[in-house]
Amino acid sequence: MARSWNKAAVVLCMDVGLAMSNSFPGEESPFELAKKVITMFVQRQVFAENKDEVALVLFGTDGTENALAGEDQYQNITVHRHLMRPDFDLLEDIESKIQPGSQQADFLDALIVCMDLIQKETLGKKFEKKHIEVFTDLSSPFSRDQLDIIIHNLKKSGISLQFFLPFPIVKKGGTGDRGDGSLLLDDHGPSFPPKGITEQQKEGIQMVKKVMMSLEGEDGLEEIYSFSESLRQLCVFKKMERHSMPWSCQLTIGSNLSIKIVAYKSITQEKVKKSWTVVDARTLKKEDIQKETVYCLNDDDETEVSKEDTIQGFRYGSDIIPFSKVDEEQMKYRSEGKCFSVLGFCRSSQVHMKYFMGNQVLKVFAAKDDEAAAVALSSLIHALDELDMVAVVRYAYDQRTNPQVGVAFPLIKDTYECLVYIQLPFMEDLRQYMFSSLKNNRKCTPTEAQLSAVDALIDSMSLVQKDEEEGTIEDLFPTSKIPNPQFQRLFQCLLHRALHPQEPLPPIQQHILSMLDPPTEVTAKGQVPVSKIKTLFPLTEVIKKKNQVTGQDLFQDNHEEGPTCKRLKTEEEEARFSVSSLAEGTVTCVGSVNPADNFRVLVRQKKASFEEASHQLINHIEQFLDTNETLYFMKSMDCIKAFREEAIQFSEEQRFNNFLKALREKVEIKQLNHFWEIVVHDGVTLITKDEVPGSSVTTEEAKKFLAPKENANTDTAAAFEEGGDVDDLVSTSNTYQVFSCLNLAEL
Amino acid sequence: MSGWESYYKNQGDEEEEQEEGLEVGGDYSYSGRDSLIFLVDASRAMFESQDEDELTPFDMSIQCIRSVYTNKIISSNRDLLAVVFYGTKKDKNSVNFKNIYVLQELDNPGAKRVQELDKFKGQEGKKYFQDQIGHGSDYSLSEVLWVCANLFSDVQFKMSHKRIMLFTNEDDPHGDDSAKASRARTKAGDLRDTGIFLDLMHLKKRGGFDISLFYRDIIVAEDEDVGIHFEESSKLEDLLRKVRAKETRKRVLYRLKLKLNKDVALTVGIYNMVQKAYRPSPVRLYRETNEPVKTKTRTFNVNTGSLLLPSDTKRSQIYGHRQIVLEKEETEELKRFDEPGLILIGFKPLMMLKKHHYLRPSLFVYPEESLINGSSTLFSALLTKCLEKEVLAVCRYTPRQNTPPCFVALVPQEEELDDQKIQLAPPGFQLVFLPYADDKRKVPFTEKVMANPEQVDKMKAIVQKLRFKYRSDSFENPVLQQHFRNMEALALDLMEPEQTVDLTYDESSGSKRPKVELSEEELKAHVSKGTLGKLTVPALKEACRMYGLKGGLKKQELLDVLTEHFQKA
Repeated sequence: MARSWNKAAVVLCMDVGLAMSNSFPGEESPFELAKKVITMFVQRQVFAENKDEVALVLFGTDGTENALAGEDQYQNITVHRHLMRPDFDLLEDIESKIQPGSQQADFLDALIVCMDLIQKETLGKKFEKKHIEVFTDLSSPFSRDQLDIIIHNLKKSGISLQFFLPFPIVKKGGTGDRGDGSLLLDDHGPSFPPKGITEQQKEGIQMVKKVMMSLEGEDGLEEIYSFSESLRQLCVFKKMERHSMPWSCQLTIGSNLSIKIVAYKSITQEKVKKSWTVVDARTLKKEDIQKETVYCLNDDDETEVSKEDTIQGFRYGSDIIPFSKVDEEQMKYRSEGKCFSVLGFCRSSQVHMKYFMGNQVLKVFAAKDDEAAAVALSSLIHALDELDMVAVVRYAYDQRTNPQVGVAFPLIKDTYECLVYIQLPFMEDLRQYMFSSLKNNRKCTPTEAQLSAVDALIDSMSLVQKDEEEGTIEDLFPTSKIPNPQFQRLFQCLLHRALHPQEPLPPIQQHILSMLDPPTEVTAKGQVPVSKIKTLFPLTEVIKKKNQVTGQDLFQDNHEEGPTCKRLKTEEEEARFSVSSLAEGTVTCVGSVNPADNFRVLVRQKKASFEEASHQLINHIEQFLDTNETLYFMKSMDCIKAFREEAIQFSEEQRFNNFLKALREKVEIKQLNHFWEIVVHDGVTLITKDEVPGSSVTTEEAKKFLAPKENANTDTAAAFEEGGDVDDLVSTSNTYQVFSCLNLAEL
Repeated sequence: MSGWESYYKNQGDEEEEQEEGLEVGGDYSYSGRDSLIFLVDASRAMFESQDEDELTPFDMSIQCIRSVYTNKIISSNRDLLAVVFYGTKKDKNSVNFKNIYVLQELDNPGAKRVQELDKFKGQEGKKYFQDQIGHGSDYSLSEVLWVCANLFSDVQFKMSHKRIMLFTNEDDPHGDDSAKASRARTKAGDLRDTGIFLDLMHLKKRGGFDISLFYRDIIVAEDEDVGIHFEESSKLEDLLRKVRAKETRKRVLYRLKLKLNKDVALTVGIYNMVQKAYRPSPVRLYRETNEPVKTKTRTFNVNTGSLLLPSDTKRSQIYGHRQIVLEKEETEELKRFDEPGLILIGFKPLMMLKKHHYLRPSLFVYPEESLINGSSTLFSALLTKCLEKEVLAVCRYTPRQNTPPCFVALVPQEEELDDQKIQLAPPGFQLVFLPYADDKRKVPFTEKVMANPEQVDKMKAIVQKLRFKYRSDSFENPVLQQHFRNMEALALDLMEPEQTVDLTYDESSGSKRPKVELSEEELKAHVSKGTLGKLTVPALKEACRMYGLKGGLKKQELLDVLTEHFQKA
C-alpha cells in the first residue's frame, strides 16, 4: 500500500569482480551470497507490489556500459537495468544472467555511476527516498580523488547509503541500540573470518567507514552489514520499514482534563497480503468458475427458496429471533465516536500480561507541536512510572468500531517516552478453567536429583550472555529481529514456480531453517544436561494398543475421566459421531442409560452392524451385573430381552445364543445365582428352531438350558460342536477381560 | 496496507478478529454438548436468611443459576441446562418419586426459561414458590439423583460432559436414616461410574457446614481437581465464582510434544483462557414461516454448467502480468516447516520479556500424560525451577501441520488460591507469542518534552484520586450486552430492552465529546483577525448552533454564516 509520496528509488550496486568468486572450500562465494541477498530484497519488492523503482548496476564486469564511461574512465561498470518497477524479468536476470566477471573495478567509481543514474532518472518524478546499496568484498583498488565530491553530492541530493560486505566489521565503541546480538550472531554462518582479510580489503574497510561516518556520523557504522547478517535479518534494509498511520484523539481524565494525543500501531501481526484465487484447472481462468449459494428449507425435498424470501435472525438460546438488518441498525449499541478516556488507575501488578488481548499495540504520544499536551502527557507518564501504576482506558477507534477496555502503561526510553495501549478482556471473553495443583500431587513431585538436573539444563541453555564488567546483558537470540519465515518461503515458492512452472516446489532454503534454530553453541551446551534428564526422568511413549481399542471404545460414555489415553480416543470418536447426531439427533452408540432402546434404534436404523451394537450392549449388561444390585438386574433383563427380540428379527439367533451361554458361565463364576433366577423366572432362554428356522436349538434343549446346572457344561460344549461362531465367543470374552482389568484399575 | 485507515475502512477490525477467533475456537465446535443440572434443595431451611438484609440461600442459588443461564446464552447456547428442586411438597418427574420437582428439563437456555426463574426471585419468589410448589417434609437423595440421571438419559443429543451442581445448606440430610444415606452413596457412585460429575455448592449454615458428616462420600473429588475443595459460600459473589469455575469444561486446544532436544520430549496440553466473545453470526430464516433455512454452496463451471470437484480447480496469484499457479495442496504445503510441537530454544531471564511486544492473546500450558507418561513430573520440575530462577523458556511453536512456526515465551505461573480456596491462577506456563521483525512497525515519535517534578506531582495526585482495583471480569462488553438485551426483549415481547449499563463509560466525565464551546469574544477576535478558518468544522457547527445560525455542511458555508453574523453585530 505504498502511496506515491512514499515511493523510493533504490540502486543495487553489485561487485561481480574477480575476487567475488573466491571462497573457502565448502562455503558459498561472496558472489553467490550477494546474489541471494539481492534476490531476497527484490523478491520482497516484487511481491509487495509497491511503487518503488529499482536499478541494478554491476561493477567488475568484462564489458562497460554506463553514461559516464569514456576512454579509461569508469571502465568495467555496467548499468544492467535502469530505474523501474522491479519485476520477474529482473529476478530472472539475477538468477541466470548475472555471471561473475574477470575484471575488477573501483567501487567509488561505481558509486558515482549510481549517483549519476539516480539523479538523472528521478528527474521529474517524485521519490521520497533515494537509496544506494553496495555489495562488494572491497578487494579491488580504488582512487580516493573524488571522495569529497561524492560525500558532498550524497548529502546534497539526500541519497542514503548502505554497505553489504562478506565479513562483519568491528564496530568499536559499543554497539549502540541495534547492537544486541547482531555482532555475535555473525559467529556462525558462512562468512570470511576477519583474519583472512587482505591489505587491500583493510584499506577498503577504512574507506567505507570513512564514507559512512562522514554521512551519518557514528550511526553510519550501523549501516554496514555482513551478508550472513542480512540473510538472517532482512529488516536491515532501510526500505523494509513500515510506517503507521497516525490516529489523533484526546486523552481524557475525568471531565476537565484532556490531552491531545496521537497514536501509532507499533506491533501488529503481519499477514500474507494476497490471497489465492480459485481457477479452473484446465483453462487457469477464474472467470470459468462460479460459486453459488442456495438456500433451502429443511424438509424432505430440500425445497429451494430465493434469497429474497429469507430474512436474518439470531439465536437467543433456544429461541430464534427474526431480526432484520434495519432493526439491528436501529437497536444496536451506539458508540460515542473516537475516544481514549481514562476510567481509572490501578497498580500495574493487577493487570497481568496474560490478560492482554486484541491484535495490536499502540504507542501514544502527545500531539505534534503542542507543548502543553507534551508536558501534560509527560507528567502522566512519569507519574504512572513512579507510582508503578497503569491507566485503564476506554478506547474506540471511531464511531463505527466497537469500544474496548484496555491498559495504558508508561514506556520511557532514552530518545522518547510514550504510553503503550493494549486491549484487555471483557468479562465475556474470560474462561475460568481449573487445573489440579502440581505441588501437592505426590504422583508428579520431582526428586531433588531431578530438580538439579533441570537446574543444570536451564543454566546451560541460557540465551543471554552477561557482561560482568559493563553490567549489560546480551541477547543471543533476539526473536524480534528474525523475519517471519512464512513470507520468505512463500516468495521463494512463487518465484520458483514463476520461473520454472513445470517443476515441483523447492525445499526450504537452508539459511531460513538455520535462522529458526537456536545458536549452535547453546544447543551444544545443552546436550549433556538433556541426556541427564533423559536418564533421570522416566518418559515413556504411550503406545496405542489396537486390540484393546475395541473394548475402550465401548466405554466412552462411562469413563470420561478415565486414564487420559482413552480420553483422547474418545474425543476423536465424539467428533466423528456428533456431526451426524447433531444433524439428526439420533443414537449413535449404545449408552449406559438407555441401553435397550439405543440398541433397538441402532440395529433398526442400521446405524451400526448387529455385531457391533450387540457388543456394546453386552458390555453394558456385564457392567450392570457387576454392581450386584437388584435395580441393575432389572435393567440387564431389559437389555437381554431386547437383544433376544432383535436377534429373532434379524436372524442373528446364533449370536444371542452364544451370548446367553457365555452369560450362564459367568453367572456361575461370579455367584450371581439370584440374577439367574430372574432369567429363569422370565423364561428367557436360547432362541429355538421354532422361532427362527436357522437355529439348531430345539425347544427341549432350550428348556434344559434353564434347568439346574448339571447340564450346563455339556450344553456349552454342544455350542462349540455345532460350529457356532467361535471367534465371536472368544472375542466377547476378551472384552470381558479388558473390562475387568479396567475395573480393577479404577478400584 | 500500512495504515490503519485503509484497514478499518475495508473490513473493520471485527471481521479480521473473527477470522482469528474461528481459527482458535474452531477445533471443538462439534464435540458434543455440555449438560448441566442445577439441583436445588427447596427445604424450609433454604428459605431462611440469617440476617434481615441477607439473601436467603435459595434466593442466592436462583440468582446464581439465572446468571449462568444468561451467560450460557451468550457464550455457548448449545449447552443443555436443567433445574430440579427437591424437598418439595408437589412432585413432578418422570418416575413419580415424591418430593422432587423438575422445574426445567435439560434443554438450551432460552428467554422463557430465564423468565420462569425470575419468578422465584426475592420475597415474591418465596411466596410464589410456596403457592406453586411448597415445602415437603421428606425426600430421598438417592431418588433425587435417580431423577437427574433420567434427565440425562432422556436427551437425544450427544453429550460431551454431564454435571450436576447441588445447592444446599443441609450438611446431614439423612442423619436419622442410615438406609437412605447408604442408598444415596451408592447412587452417587453409580453416577460417577456413568460419567456424571456431582459438585456440591454448599451454602452457609448456622454453625458451619460440615462436609465430613455426609457429603464427603457423595462428592469425591474428580481426579483432575485433586486438592481443591471449596469453602462454604455465604455471599452471592462467592457462589457465583464457585459455579463459574465449574460450569465450563476445560477443553484442550492442542496436545503437543515439548521437545527439549531431538530425543527428549514431554507432552503438554494447550488451553486458551481468554478468547474474544463475539456476537453470534446471524441465521437465515424463511420469510413465510421464520424457520431456519439450510445454505448450500456449490462451485460449477460457467461454460459447461457442470459441478466442479476440488480437484478440478487450482490456486493462482497474479503479479504484474505473470500468473503463478499452484495446486491447492501446494498452497498448504508451503506453510509447513515443522511437525506440530514446541521445540525448546533456550532460557532467558524473565525481565527480558517486553510487555510492549505483545502480539496475540497468550495461551496456557499444562502437562498431559496422554502421549508420554511421566510428562507431569518433568513439567513440574521445569516449572519449579523456572519460577525459582526467574527465567522463561523460549520455544518454537507449531500448533498444527501446515502452520508456519512462531516463537513463544513460556512464562512460569505459580498456583494462586483465594481465601475461598478458589483457584485464581492455575499452575503452569503462560504461552506468550513473540513478534517477528515483520510485525514491528516504525513509529515516528515526537521529541521528548519532559515535565518538571512539580507537574509530575500534580499528576500523581490526580492518579491517586482515580485509583481503583482492577479485576479482569470488571467490564462487560456493552455491544454484546446490548445485542442480547435486544434479543431478550424481542423473545419475551417486552416493550423495550432493558437498559444496558455500559461500565466502560465513565459517567463522571459526562459527554464524551470534547467541549468546543467558544466564547463570543474569542469568536469575534477570530472574525476580526480573519483566523476563523483555523477552527475545526465541529467547533464551527457548535458556534452556529449557539447563535441559532443555519449554515451548510461545508466549512466555507459555516465560515460565511458566522462572519456575516458577527460583522452585522
